[in-house]
Amino acid sequence: MSNLNGGAPPRAVDDDSDIEEEALAADYREQVQYEGMDDMEGGSSMSMEGGSSMSMAQQTDDIQSRLLGAAQPLDFSAPLETKFASYDNYCSLFHFILNSDGPVDLEPPSYFWAWDVIDEFIYQFNSFCSYRNRVARQGNNEEEITILREAPNTWGCYSVLNVLYSLIQRSQINEQLAAMKRNEEPMAVAGDYGSKPLYRMLGYFSIIGLLRVHCLLGDFSLALKTLDDIELNKKAMFARVLAAHFATYYYVGFSYMMMRRYADAIRMFSHILIYVSRTKNSQKNAQYDSITKKNDQMYALIAICVAFHPTRLDDVIHTALREKYGDQLLKLQRGGPESLPIFEELFRSACPKFISPTPPDFDNPELNVDPLEHHLAIFMDEVKTNMWSPTVKSYLRLYTTMDLKKLAGFLEVEPEKLRGWLLVNKQRSRQIRWSDNGLLDGEIVGSGDLDYAMQGDLIHISEAKVGRKLVDWYLRNLARTY
Amino acid sequence: MGVPFDYAPERPEHIDAILNGLNRYNPETTNIFQEYVTAQCDERTYDCYANLALLKLYQFNPHLTKDETITNILVKSLTVFPSPDFSLALHLLPPHILTPASASSALPAAGDAPLSEAVQKLNVLNNLLAQASYAAFWSTLDSDDLYADLIADVAGFEELIRIRIALTISQSVREIERSVLESWLGMQGEAFNKFVNGVCGWGIEGTVVKVPMNKENEAKGTIVRENVKMEQFSRVIRRAYEQPA
Repeated sequence: MSNLNGGAPPRAVDDDSDIEEEALAADYREQVQYEGMDDMEGGSSMSMEGGSSMSMAQQTDDIQSRLLGAAQPLDFSAPLETKFASYDNYCSLFHFILNSDGPVDLEPPSYFWAWDVIDEFIYQFNSFCSYRNRVARQGNNEEEITILREAPNTWGCYSVLNVLYSLIQRSQINEQLAAMKRNEEPMAVAGDYGSKPLYRMLGYFSIIGLLRVHCLLGDFSLALKTLDDIELNKKAMFARVLAAHFATYYYVGFSYMMMRRYADAIRMFSHILIYVSRTKNSQKNAQYDSITKKNDQMYALIAICVAFHPTRLDDVIHTALREKYGDQLLKLQRGGPESLPIFEELFRSACPKFISPTPPDFDNPELNVDPLEHHLAIFMDEVKTNMWSPTVKSYLRLYTTMDLKKLAGFLEVEPEKLRGWLLVNKQRSRQIRWSDNGLLDGEIVGSGDLDYAMQGDLIHISEAKVGRKLVDWYLRNLARTY
Repeated sequence: MGVPFDYAPERPEHIDAILNGLNRYNPETTNIFQEYVTAQCDERTYDCYANLALLKLYQFNPHLTKDETITNILVKSLTVFPSPDFSLALHLLPPHILTPASASSALPAAGDAPLSEAVQKLNVLNNLLAQASYAAFWSTLDSDDLYADLIADVAGFEELIRIRIALTISQSVREIERSVLESWLGMQGEAFNKFVNGVCGWGIEGTVVKVPMNKENEAKGTIVRENVKMEQFSRVIRRAYEQPA
């Protein structure tokens, strides 16, 4: 159980002693006006002034309000001081939870609490990094630049990862999940911490949090690797918190897409979108409002994936996709240079808010490129590689044999170019697809409904015929009438 | 036949231990990973998952960055095209790395201009390989001395690339003009004969090269039938029991 920095105590808190940290936080609290965070302020200041002389009951009240406060969303336009203060609050709260003498005896305020805390913690990390990068890029707010420059470790990626990994390790959650997979009793390996709901839930959602952080940093394979011990199914713990359920599939799907495993990405997006469309009428509540945007984003991503990997979608998804992105989908599926702006537009609107983990270079504003542009550029190279596949396929479908030079004439390209397109399309129709075990596992599957081979200049073409699919239709009508 | 992305057959135990623990974030392991990259270059092995872990360490600790190791990782990942490895590595590099040189060379303070130039050059190669413009790949590789420097550390780079190209060809080709194949493999004459016969096991008949039949290049038509599972009907059956009408 080594820590991030090779055995050193958690970095989030090792720079300052507790007293200094508390004093710092108190200092901020005096300067900053809290809006809608009165509970937290009241509670926290009590703990500072009262110290160890407080009664147990008071301490419990205090910590309960801090727990609640940590799950409260921070106003998007909050001033920098509030963002710093919020970071310090998280540090001291997690320090308390992780580094007290043994496990702290607390009940989480609600079932959703653990997810909300991790979610908000990462959201604030995410928006802080984006904000810092923007300030550096624009380079005109000297005051904020000075503040940010002097606090390179605030909301640092090592601190954030340290919190998440520490929560995972303390709760032995991976060991517990592995035991559950083997149908053993998870409590046997949970230890003092992991047997408490507070730690178990924080640990569990920290795994989902890690998935998200890795994805935000552009490390898509590690993002998927993080979920090794979690089984993606409706019985999973995250499925009981809709927002967590939703986020998990979004980030897994997105990571698959960036690893060019489009079939797997579509499977992920479809799964959750179908789930939402089936359940949203039965439980209309605020939870659903908050995911509407992500919902649309996932449809945009499905459109992208389907363009790369034409496949039959579930009817529910297909209908909704045509409603939301009908025009775009048509252009994507047609390919060619005209499709490029659409790919870009959809990617921009649907990707996570990528961040750069290290403080920006305040002296060279031009070097602080928005990480989104970086990831987009790499993605667009892949789009360009593939953009002729739809054209090639649409022609090949019409023939069983075809002369390459003749086809090149139709398409008005050099034969050599066409040979390249044919090779590319063939390569890209083979994809790794998950079948069992970890998310990174999979087998290479030829996905094409269209196959061909070149014999000199002669192209032999064969089409896989799909038999009629009746089960879906049959089941739906059964459900309706019976 | 499926191999998980994070699996590498030749990965030494100590590397495996680092990758599976939190030491993968420990800046002190940077040297171990760097040596491992060098070993991969020398011994013609390849471990993408470990290399990405090193790039992540660089991402978190930019002051530890070694340009040469980054370019070696990228060059190694070219040798496994058309896998996404090269792109996955690019995603972990600093966001300004792909901005055109004109923008960054205008900055006297931009210390890593050479790195971004090298990365962009390699990205050109990657795109040519991805687009199956193999002839253009070889001529581009020869067009600039910088490329020779970049690939110098990777033992057998050209042969590894040729093998990959041959592999992609074997998936879609039964017969191919000798001249076309020569340009795709970037070699002629006796060396070409030796590679095609010896390494690939293909036959040369006059001006035509014949690729033996394999699963990929036979292009056989199939009929996909619906695969119906009992579970799909579980709801219907359950309802039948629940509501005996």
